[in-house]
Amino acid sequence: MNHSDLINLLIAISIMMLLGRLFGEFFRKIRVPLVVGELVAGILLGPTVLGQFYPHYTDTIFTTSGNVGLVLNGLATISVIMLLFSAGMEVEISIIRQQRNTALIASLFGLIIPLIFGFIAGFYFYDFFVKEMPVDHLVFGLFMATAMGISALPIIARTLIDLNLFKTKVGMIIIAAAMLDDVIGWLLFSVVLGMMQKGYESNQFLMTLGSTVLFALFTLTIGRFLFNKSLPWAQRNLSWPGGVLAFSLGFAFLGAAFTEKIGIHAIFGAFIVGIAIGDSVHLNEKTRDIIQQFITNIFAPLFFVSIGFKINFFQNFNIEIVSVVFVLAVAAKLFGAGLGAFVGGLNMKESLAVGFGMNARGAMEIVLGLLALQAGLINEQLFVALVVMAVLTSIIAGPMLKYLLTGEMKVGAAIKEIIPGMKDQTESTNG
Amino acid sequence: MSEEINHSPYPFKKIAAAVAFSPRVEAILSELRRLQDIFDANILLIHVGEKDLKQEQYLKHLVHRFGLDKKGNEIIWETGDPVEKILKVCDEKQVDLLVAGALEKESLLKYFMGSVARKLCRKTECSILMLKEPDIRSQPVKRIVVEGSDHPKTVQTIESAVYVARRSGADEVFVVQEAAIEKMALIRSDEFSNGEAEVHKEKIEKEEVDKIEEILRCADCGNLKISTIRLEGKPGFVISNFAREYNADLLVLNSPDAKLNFIDRVFTHDIEYALADLPCDLLIIHSKHHSN
Repeated sequence: MNHSDLINLLIAISIMMLLGRLFGEFFRKIRVPLVVGELVAGILLGPTVLGQFYPHYTDTIFTTSGNVGLVLNGLATISVIMLLFSAGMEVEISIIRQQRNTALIASLFGLIIPLIFGFIAGFYFYDFFVKEMPVDHLVFGLFMATAMGISALPIIARTLIDLNLFKTKVGMIIIAAAMLDDVIGWLLFSVVLGMMQKGYESNQFLMTLGSTVLFALFTLTIGRFLFNKSLPWAQRNLSWPGGVLAFSLGFAFLGAAFTEKIGIHAIFGAFIVGIAIGDSVHLNEKTRDIIQQFITNIFAPLFFVSIGFKINFFQNFNIEIVSVVFVLAVAAKLFGAGLGAFVGGLNMKESLAVGFGMNARGAMEIVLGLLALQAGLINEQLFVALVVMAVLTSIIAGPMLKYLLTGEMKVGAAIKEIIPGMKDQTESTNG
Repeated sequence: MSEEINHSPYPFKKIAAAVAFSPRVEAILSELRRLQDIFDANILLIHVGEKDLKQEQYLKHLVHRFGLDKKGNEIIWETGDPVEKILKVCDEKQVDLLVAGALEKESLLKYFMGSVARKLCRKTECSILMLKEPDIRSQPVKRIVVEGSDHPKTVQTIESAVYVARRSGADEVFVVQEAAIEKMALIRSDEFSNGEAEVHKEKIEKEEVDKIEEILRCADCGNLKISTIRLEGKPGFVISNFAREYNADLLVLNSPDAKLNFIDRVFTHDIEYALADLPCDLLIIHSKHHSN
């Protein structure tokens, strides 16, 4: 990397962080997930907008090729590993255990129904989604199943808080089910990537599958026990919070390296190590907070902004695919998760609200889509459709929830929040 | 939460104890005498094993020596699986409180396989008292730590702890509210602005504090000194740790919502933290009748 490459790289990182944060904050103010702002920043800086007018900048600074692109891709990979580590830390085995069979049943509805919807769509309508791609129908069907099943825990938590259900038994069942969904979802996705690389009929694939399960079992039992025993040592002997941060992330990368080595994606190792470390009784709230802040404020923006550099969103926007993916995703989750909540004891309106909360796919769907794109499992058009679906499902969760709970659809409420002095000009539609 | 619970687990009028002819048998019987006096209870001694004359005479001698031969007390001999038989007797005789001696910590293998005392804790449907260090000169209970989690069972658990404290002349009861960090972490996600997350957190805290205050207002506390404390961390681990650091004599916890099994020992949660390493004597309150 020469002098000018280094300058370009530093400029790229600087603008990605600044613009990502600015857009993120703006969107958060209007109650749209932060990640949408970061994505928009990337789209503006990438070939979709800036590249149309100043291609020189997208070739040299906000690029995915050359030396700068190589480093940015590396950073994005590290970021996604950290994001999955952070997602793993959100999963609490104890919450899943406490809810026992009820969580399993809710999870069954919330995950299995979307999985079935996704699998049928992917397996039988393969040509519609990824025309002329040399991908096995079964592998693609399983990917679509995973893409439909994934959920966004933070958005679900928010939904439950707004519903005043967060601390109730039903609320905890939903949280536990969503956590279980995520574990199964990422496990399934790792298997799909393994099938993609090695073919599912070979012994090598069975070896990979066996190693995946063994790795998960080992890390969640013996590994978890060892983390729990060694964390107090790290907290006692290493400076805080740097020591614990290095300890946690060090093991996350080690787990990621191991799973990459055995033929499943690095993200799975980071995710499982995240669950194991997050479960430690010695990981206090402040440390947990610092790890999360470090990842979500520094690495997540770099990853989500960089997505915009890889694809021209306008060129690859196919309204048919976008519409079908969106409708399929919403129908699958509303039906599955809503039914789960209804069986769990909520009334129809509350069940629908929970359905919309669990329907939000959030950042993890985008991560999933990008990894599938990089693995050659999907094309750019389907990736764009998945991103749009993730964004839209996350955006509609809040307003739909409000509508179902209060019967009001306040179109201008978000604008009013940004301009506090504005008179109440919100349009109300009684529902 | 809509569960309804009625019937108090106390006043512990019928107390059963699993008796084995171990070196600690005298200490257990001495503790039972104390409990008999405190609660004015009838004592049921259960021994699982072949009945032999020598043992029978020895037990009768001990019963007489520790003043447990009052009218209404019983000795029951059973054969078969100790855990199953003890639980069967407790069920048939409608025992209010089962007492068992237990080691503070067991070897890893024994912990995972499950000792008799710990198996009883995980399976019993009546309240159970695990004595960590039964003493022939049984010590009075001075400091009690009780679970104050946001759960329907907590009302009866706190009321039972207050009852035990008053009957045994304890100095202080500490109600520990555990704020589960995993739930709090979800509130602090990017979905909420900083101010919003704090508002939700404070609201949840206030609701929980109000509930405890309400329970304590209703409980028959008298002049008993009761303090409440809110700690963040893993439920079960936090309170267990607090009881150890506070040198509590008795830790009172809610019974688990379902029977615990091997998986619960591998993925430790709630009461299993206390069972893995007993901080002091442990009283698990089973609300007698509750419907979910």
